[in-house]
This record gives sequence, structure tokens and C-alpha cells, in this order.
Amino acid sequence: MSGRARARGRGQAGRGAVRGGPPPAPAPAALPTGKDYSRSDDSQVVGTFVSEEEASTSSAHGGAARLSQRCDFSAGESKSQGAVLGKGGRTRYDFPDLGINTRKTIAHVRDCKTGSSGIPVKVITNLYSLLLPREWQLYQYHVTFNPEFESRRLRLALLYSHAEFLGKAKAFDGVILFLSQKLENQVTELLTETKRGERVKITITLKSKLPPSSPVCIQFFNIIFKKVLKKLSLYQVGQNFYSPSEPVVIPQHRLTLWPGFAISISQFESRVMLSADVSHKVLCNDTVLEFMTDLYTRCDRARFTETCEKELIGLIVLTRYNNKTYRIDDINWSVKPTDTFPKRDGTDISYVDYYKQQYEVVLSDLNQPMLVSRLKNKQKDSIEPRIVHLIPELCYLTGLTSRARADYRLMKDLVQETRLNPERRQQRLSRLTDNIQRNSEARLVLETWGLQLGCQISLTGRIVPTEKILMQGEMCLPMSASDWSKDLRNMKMLGVPSLDTWLIVCSNRNAEVMKNLLNCLRRVGGPMGFRIEYPKILHVQESTLAFLRALQQHVTPEVQLVMCVLPSNQKDCYDSIKKFLILDRPVPSQCVLACTLTKPGMMMSVATKIAMQIICKLGGELWAVEIPLKSLMVIGVDVNKDALNKGSSVVGFVASTNSRITRWSSRCILQTTGNDIADCLKVCMKGALSKWLKHNQELPARIIVYRGGVGDGQLKMVVDYEVPQLLSSLTELSTNYRPKVSVVVVRKKCIARFFAEADGSLRNPPIGTVVDTEATRPEWYDFYLVSQLVHQGTVNPTHYNVVYDDSGLKPDHMQRLTYKMCHLYYNWPCLHSNCSALCNVRTWKT
Amino acid sequence: MVDANLAKGECTGTIKFTPPLYKQRYQFIKDLVNKYKPKKVADLGCADCSLLWMLKFCKCIEVLAGLDICENVMKEKMHRLSPLPGDYLQPSERTLTVTLYHGSVAQKDPCMLGFDLITCIELIEHLEATELEKFPEVVFGFMAPAMVVISTPNSEFNPLLPGVTLFRHPDHKFEWDQAQFQSWALDAAGCYDYTVEFTGLGAPPPGAEDVGFCTQISVFRRKYPNTGEPINLEKPTENSYRTIFKAVYPSLKDEKYLQNAVVSEVINTAQIITRRLLDSFNSVYKEHSNGLVEMKPDFQLPRYFMRHSKNPSLAEGEKLADDRNMETYVSGNAVYIPLIKIFSIPKVNKLCGTFENLSKLITGKVALSNDGSAVVISTEHEEKENE
Repeated sequence: MSGRARARGRGQAGRGAVRGGPPPAPAPAALPTGKDYSRSDDSQVVGTFVSEEEASTSSAHGGAARLSQRCDFSAGESKSQGAVLGKGGRTRYDFPDLGINTRKTIAHVRDCKTGSSGIPVKVITNLYSLLLPREWQLYQYHVTFNPEFESRRLRLALLYSHAEFLGKAKAFDGVILFLSQKLENQVTELLTETKRGERVKITITLKSKLPPSSPVCIQFFNIIFKKVLKKLSLYQVGQNFYSPSEPVVIPQHRLTLWPGFAISISQFESRVMLSADVSHKVLCNDTVLEFMTDLYTRCDRARFTETCEKELIGLIVLTRYNNKTYRIDDINWSVKPTDTFPKRDGTDISYVDYYKQQYEVVLSDLNQPMLVSRLKNKQKDSIEPRIVHLIPELCYLTGLTSRARADYRLMKDLVQETRLNPERRQQRLSRLTDNIQRNSEARLVLETWGLQLGCQISLTGRIVPTEKILMQGEMCLPMSASDWSKDLRNMKMLGVPSLDTWLIVCSNRNAEVMKNLLNCLRRVGGPMGFRIEYPKILHVQESTLAFLRALQQHVTPEVQLVMCVLPSNQKDCYDSIKKFLILDRPVPSQCVLACTLTKPGMMMSVATKIAMQIICKLGGELWAVEIPLKSLMVIGVDVNKDALNKGSSVVGFVASTNSRITRWSSRCILQTTGNDIADCLKVCMKGALSKWLKHNQELPARIIVYRGGVGDGQLKMVVDYEVPQLLSSLTELSTNYRPKVSVVVVRKKCIARFFAEADGSLRNPPIGTVVDTEATRPEWYDFYLVSQLVHQGTVNPTHYNVVYDDSGLKPDHMQRLTYKMCHLYYNWPCLHSNCSALCNVRTWKT
Repeated sequence: MVDANLAKGECTGTIKFTPPLYKQRYQFIKDLVNKYKPKKVADLGCADCSLLWMLKFCKCIEVLAGLDICENVMKEKMHRLSPLPGDYLQPSERTLTVTLYHGSVAQKDPCMLGFDLITCIELIEHLEATELEKFPEVVFGFMAPAMVVISTPNSEFNPLLPGVTLFRHPDHKFEWDQAQFQSWALDAAGCYDYTVEFTGLGAPPPGAEDVGFCTQISVFRRKYPNTGEPINLEKPTENSYRTIFKAVYPSLKDEKYLQNAVVSEVINTAQIITRRLLDSFNSVYKEHSNGLVEMKPDFQLPRYFMRHSKNPSLAEGEKLADDRNMETYVSGNAVYIPLIKIFSIPKVNKLCGTFENLSKLITGKVALSNDGSAVVISTEHEEKENE
């Protein structure tokens, strides 16, 4: 049916050439790269997989980056050096978007950013307070040795041998020393002796005192908690922590799920808190080699390498012999396990021998190709990309392949396990926090630093009033804010063209269901005010070719719409029809799967939805909401990363063209280099304004931009580059054109979860719940909005961060306006998690 | 490995071993393990656990223990001894428990009893005289493993090493020449009923052959057989070591993992059989329908198959009971694959051992026919919902 295959912007531009590979295992791991799995139409399904959201990380923050990379932590009681925490840069845990203070630039919310309308509601969060002693500070020292030592281990040993440090909480990376208690003097000099009898002077100088809210400190807390989770036998895979010893197997799809958690410490509105959410890691039971073998038996042999690359590239693998994950960037079909590579000591060794020697692993297939992974450079200055070769037989796939994702039954079974309702989610979270508090080792880690995990935070949110839905000549106040399809029955749509000249293409076998659909469409069309003439019907054979031939022969410029009843859910058929009707003979088209039309009792509702889709595609308007602001242009921008082609992304841009915000213009740009999204926004912006001018004879007085697809760490780029570019594109248009502009960054993937208590159990908060205290950030003008209803699982609140605003709109109005926008996604007569603008962006990307 | 290359640096005149001697020593142990397949191995003076880490990959070892007097040095890299996430994905057939103890080789602890191999790599030269005195009694008398390997520097080699004045390492309490080491080892062997062989690593350069290996090694073998039970009744029961690390590797011996593995394998096998069946049917069907454009919808396949297969339909239920032993059959929208057929698949057979075990493990986890004799795979194509 509608929105069946919304493009996820996976271009297929060529990949860069890959050169020979250095050692496979001893190299440090590459962090999983950012992937955007978001799809407009199945937020409920995808939303649950926090595990997949290994958002890319960007540059680290100041000195704390070092800290996270290789800092040695010790739990105070013993004179131990403790286990090394950040194993040689393995765990880069950057704290994105720290220190970007946009709120201070927005004058009217500097003092108060909270709204006021709506009914107060108690909301329980997934945030836990972090208890610190009053006046707690982290003391950062700089340590020098005279004479100097290269060996970090030796420096650690020398420093820790000193009585001053016994029994104290400390973290030392060889240069920077963190203490939770202040040393007596600003500068401390220690004399010590090595085992060889060398005399060494250690100078420890106090560099800074860090309050708990400082970015370095926040990062420090995150490392501490990472250590705590490790004490609970959780394994870090990607960014999150999982428990592989409690696997959930889904044997029919050869998948294993590891339950786990995503945690982070941040400075929230009034205090530092731990946020925790349940996450699942999806793993394939098969090795990549088994996956390849299976694929080989299934697919066209001649196109095997191509198919294989298409399936595998971009996926993350977990190796069998270390605790690292790698992204598959390429497959090298010419390198075999019997080929050699130079070891660190300069000698050459074959892959087979290496794995045999190192890990006692005997490779069974000596003809398998090599997976190629490009590693992130630790040193920014070195240009040479580091490459590792991985043996398919020793790698497991994590996450889902595109084929698995398209497998409806698989996804259903998966969701069964991963979708947790608020009650179950809360149980898991409680178990985690209980464990942290009960496990003596875990607690000790916290206690030595004077930390304690506090209680779960609840706060007061507001349920904003239900919006009225405007129809042609009348208005309705939906019974339920979440779904007003019932309320719409027998109401005329806002603006409906008639469907006079159109085509239906269907296979012979589906003639009956098609006839039935046509009847239903005409029946539901009436009350909507949608006049549907009898179409020209083409019966064809059941092949893609037959469909295309029919289209070639019969699609003429007069045809308003083509409807195709597809025999099966084959993507290539859908794709080639859409391609033809978009590129070769541009005509609006509606594809319907035959199987959706065979469900008894569902026909009328299916037909209603299809009719609404068609109205939209013909340029009609379904409904509207009251927009109190006149001459307001709403813009939606979304950026999806290309999973296949690192660095390139797809930018979608939609802008409203009328003040009722029911008509849109759209643009989609494939951006090959990652960073100049701002440039193409400028082009889009100018286009959108001239369209508006054409339709309204004047430029909009207000512009609101909803920007989606902003990953962790990208906020700075939006604030520093995109916003100024957008603003300059306005002034460039006309020197005295000064509309009021707001830019809102929308994030569907946020770590916050909200629960409401009802009848003694936890539920999802009511639709329209706004949270703008406690769980928000002090340095931002941000709020959360629960704008969609989920029947199963836990709702993902959407996070709105107003990064620029000279509109002077009160926070209350900004929230209400955003809520109104959530009503305007025409694919469903219900509220959507994102703003309509963003959804429309996604729809248009097809 | 024993005859490792010895390169005499031309310009510097220094002696360099490739691979480095410490690696050769570890490899020596690893080769020994691969040769004798001990199940329980302990490394005394395990330091940063490098040897233990290498040994954990040896598939014969089920118990691995490390002991060191310095807790910090053990803790430094002990996380490397934890199971990897990948170990949980395909649990190994063997069990493996790795334990690290903090304690002294001069003290007895029952946790060191019953080992097949105990290694003491470059350990004894770090012992104080009093500790060294107790060492043979603790290792050979008390622990009494089937095999002991002891390595120590050969002081006769020292003049060839640059920069070595007294000892090779400041913490060394002594370094023995070949005669000293061998007499000490022979004494211990004689006293505790062991045989001993001497070897070494790092051959001397040409012309200096009589100094012997850089590292001298003695391999002890217990002469009396293992009685299984501690023989010495005086053996203390109280623990003098402190456990600082323990990792139990996931293994198919653990029913939780075995069940997962069996269920996965059974369903996978059943799915493959079903797919083959339907594929072969499809090709037959295509031949029959040659020229016909229209394809029958999928759900009709099984019924068609029933007519064309030699298997009886449900109507002949009686006969079915006899025939179904090994034959896959189709009924309604499901394929029935007899358990006995799945049990005959080598991988399943190996995992379960007995048919009863197979039935037990999959009950409640895999859809079975009413009498539990066959795995049921539905061929019904669920329709994709579009919401």
C-alpha cells in the first residue's frame, strides 16, 4: 500500500579503491559508523532498536578525549592500578554537543523556556540522579617525570608507588591525573626510585578544579559508569552494553539477541543525571562466510559478487577473536587467506598461519575473500587510511541486513522480543539500577569517587489540548487525539481535485481483487468529496516487464494517475515501475499490493487510505489545523546518511507554499561530500521562497525550519554553518526582507523515555504530553513532545531543540505550533511522531 | 623453535633472538600443551597473564589457573582472559574456567591440586632463599601435577649479553649456571619421584657452544600415576590464596547454550529440508505447467505436492504411522519433518548424542506434531501487513 518502499537514500556511487591491508587483528577497532535506519512509516518497529543506533561520533572534547582513550582507573581501597579502562583508544566515547549554548543567544527564553498551557501530568523518566557530596570537585593535575620515561606503565607504577596515592580514588593516563580529593599543595614534588635504582623526580601540578557540570567531568562520569557496567559482566559492543550470557535466540531466523543497556551521564536542566534505556544487540548466528555461502545458493551466480557486496557493505561485524567491531567497507575478492601480510616485526605471515598461531583457529575455507574495513585514524593529521582485512569465517554480522529488514516475518518475530512496554522496560531498568547498587564491586567503583546512584526522577509534564481538525466547511474535534480516521467519516476533504483520466494496471490473476478495490474506492470517494471516474484497465501478465510494457504504451500526458496492483512484494518490480513513472514518464502513481486487498472486512478502510493517498498525489488537501500565525512558511529538512557510501548523504527539503500549510514544494539532493549541506540548503531555501512568492504574491513573514537527521556531534555544524547560511540566503534575496526565523532541530532518537502511571501500572504518557523541565538541557531551548500513539512497546518522545529563534514566539506557542505540525502528515489521519514537515520530506524522497 | 635463529648484530655486537626469547618460551609451552593435551594447566608467576592468554585458545585445556605474588601486575591485563562476546555466539564444546589467584608459591592451597601441567617460567630466580627452599615441596610434593616445566636464566650466557653486569633483572635473587640448575632439578625430581629432562632456548653463538642455552629449561614428569584423589592426608584444606579473577566460558556442556544450539540447528535443518522440498516441487510444477502464463498462488503448493508425492495423505492415517519414520510429508499448510530424520544429521547427532536428549531439548522450543515425532514447518505465507 502507500508508502511501501520509501527510499532510504542508499545511493550506489562507486567506492574508493582499497589498497593492501595491514595486519588484521592487532589493529585497533574502528567504531561503528553512523547509520540512519530511520524510516518514516515504521517508527514503532525501528524505534525499539536502540542497539542499532550507533551514531557516529565526532571530534572529542578537549582534554577529556585523552581521558577516555587511555586512562587508568583505580578503585581506591587497594593500592592497585586497577584494570585499564579505556583500552588503547578502543572506547572513544565522545560527548557530542557539549558546550553548545544556543539558549543564551535567544533573548526571550533566557529566563524561562517553559510553556504553560495544558493539563499537568506526572511523568516518570528513565533518568536517575547522581548523588555527589556537596562541593564535590574533580581535581585535574599535570604530572611530569624527571628524567622522562616513555613507558606509560612505568610512569603509572612510579606514581602509584607513592604513599600519597594509596587508598585514594585516582585516574591517571601517564600525563593527566584526576583526583577526587585535593592534594595539600598546588605543586607536589615526589622523589622516587626505579627498580634499577634510578632516582626520579615527579612533579604534580594542579591544573584545574572541575565542577560536576563541566564537560570533562561529565565525560569522566561516563567512563566511571562504563567501568561499573563492566563490573556487572556486561560487554560493550559499539556504544552500548550487553549481556551475551543471557541470549535470546530466534532460531527460525538464525538470530541471537543480547539484551543490554544504553546509558549516558549528562548535565540536565538542573542536575547531572544518568539516563538509561534498554537496548538489544541483534546478531546473526552465522559467520559472514556462512552468510555468503547461503547467498551463493540463493542468488544468480553470475551476479554473486555484486549481490554479496550490496548485502554486506556497510554492515558491522563482530570478530570471533577479539572484542571489536568493524564496518565492512569493501570485499576484496582477490586476497585469499593463504596470502601473506607483514607483521609488526617486519616478517611476513599468511592469514591462515597467523590465526592458527595466534588463536589456534583453523580456517576451513582457503578460498574465501577478505572483508575490508577502513579504520578511523586516531591521529587526525595522518591522511593514509588504515585498512584491515578480516576473514569472513571469523566474523559475525551484527544488526540486520537489508534483506532481513525487508522480511516482514523476521521483523515481527524480532519486535516480539525487543519491543518492551513501559512496564517491562521499567523492570529491566530497575534491575540494572538494583545491580549497580547491590554489586559490591560496582558500588565500590562509584564510592571511591564519592558517587552514588540516586533515585529515578519523575517530573510534571503537560498534556496540551487536542487540536481541531479543519475539513471542508466544517471542523471536528477528534475523540482521540491519536487517530481521527473515524471522526473523518462522512466529512469532505479540504480540497479535492477529481480523478477523471486514470489507469489501472493489474495482472490477470488479480482482476477480481482490483475490481473490488475500484468499487470500494468509488464508494468511499463520495463522502470525501472525491469524484472518481471509471479508469482504463489493463490486464497484463505477472511480470515486471509486462507491467512496464503496458505503462509504456498507455501512459499519455493526459493521464492523471496510474495505479498498479502488484502481485507480490518484489522490490524490483515496484522500483522499476516507480522509476519509469518518475523519470521516464512523470505521472503520479499509486502501487498497491494484491495481498492487502484480500483481507476480508478490511477493504473499506484500505480503500479510504488509498483514496487519501491519491488525493495527496493529485495535489489535493485532506485536512488542516488552525494556524494562528498568518504568512508562516514551514520548512522541513532531513538528511540521511548513505549507508553504502560513507560521506555522502541525501538531503530532503520541503517547504509549505500556502499559509494553511497544506501544500508543499519539495526538493531532494544527493550530497556527495558530507559537510556542505548548508550550501544546498541555501539553494533550496531560495527556491522555496520564490515558490511561496509565486503562490502568495508576497514573501512569508515568518519561517520555521524543522531540521531532522542531525546526528550526535553534528549540532555544532548546524548552529555554526547552516543557520547563518539560511539567514544569509534571506537577506541576499532582498536587503530589507527580514522575516522572523526559527530553526528547530528534531530528534526522534533520544535517550529519554517517559512513563505515566495509571491504575498502578506504567503506561505510555498520553498523546500531546510536553516535557520542558528537568529532562531538558539548561543550555538549550528544548522540549520533548509525545506526539504519536503506540499500541505496543514504549513511545519514543521526540526531542525538539530550538537552536535559533528571533520570532519572539513564547515557548508555549512554539510547543503548540510544533504539535499542530504533527497533525499534517497525510499518510495517516493520526498524529505522527515527527513534524509533518519532516515526514513529508521522507515521503518525497522516494 | 628450540633452534631459533640467533642473529649476531653486525655493527653493535649485540645478541638478538628472533622471535624474542620470551615469545619462544611461551611457544615452547604451547607446543608442549599441543603435544600432551593436558586438561588442567596452571602458570605459577603468571605476571601479566600473557602465557595464560595464549593457552586459553588451546582446545584441550578445560581449567586454566594463574598464580602471582603481585596482584597489580595480574590485574593489568586480566580482562584479556574474559570470554569474548563471540564466544557466547558459538559456545565451544569444551568447558573452560580461568582463575587467577593472588598468593605465594611457597604456600599450599588446595585449588592447585590435580593439575596436569604446571609451568614456572622465569619464576624461581625471583624467589627469596626461604621461598625457594619451600618451592619443591609445594610444587612437586603438594601440587604434584603430572608435568612441571621450569625455566630460568643461564648465568653462563650472561657475558654474551650486553649491559648485563650481575643479573639480567634487578629483581633476580640469583642466576644459576647449568650445573647449579641441573643439580637442583635432579634433587627435586629424585626427592618427589619425578623424571627430569633438560633443554633450553636461545642457542649460543658459534664458538661459544659450551655456555649452553640462554634460557635453561627442565621438564619434569611424575613417575607415579595420578590417583585422582589427593593422596596426602595432611594436605591443608584452608585456602591461602585469594581468588582475584574467575571467568567461566560459555560451553555446550551448559544446557542453556546446548539447548539454544540444538534448537537453532534443528530449525535450520528443517527449514532447509522444507525449502528443498518446495523448490523441487516448483520445478516439477513448472514442467507440468509449461506454456501456462498464470502461476498458481503459493498456498496451493503443498496440496499439489500431496497428490504427486508418494507419501500418503491424511486420509490414510493408519499407514502413515508406519511410513513416517524417515519420510518428510506435507499436510495442510505445513511440512512435517520426522525428528528421527533430523537426528540423523551429523551436526544435530553430535550435539545431542541421544535421540531422547534431542526430544528433551527441543520440547517447548520447536513446533512439533501432536505425537511429537516430527518438526512442523508452516508453509503458509503470512501476508505482509502494511501499517
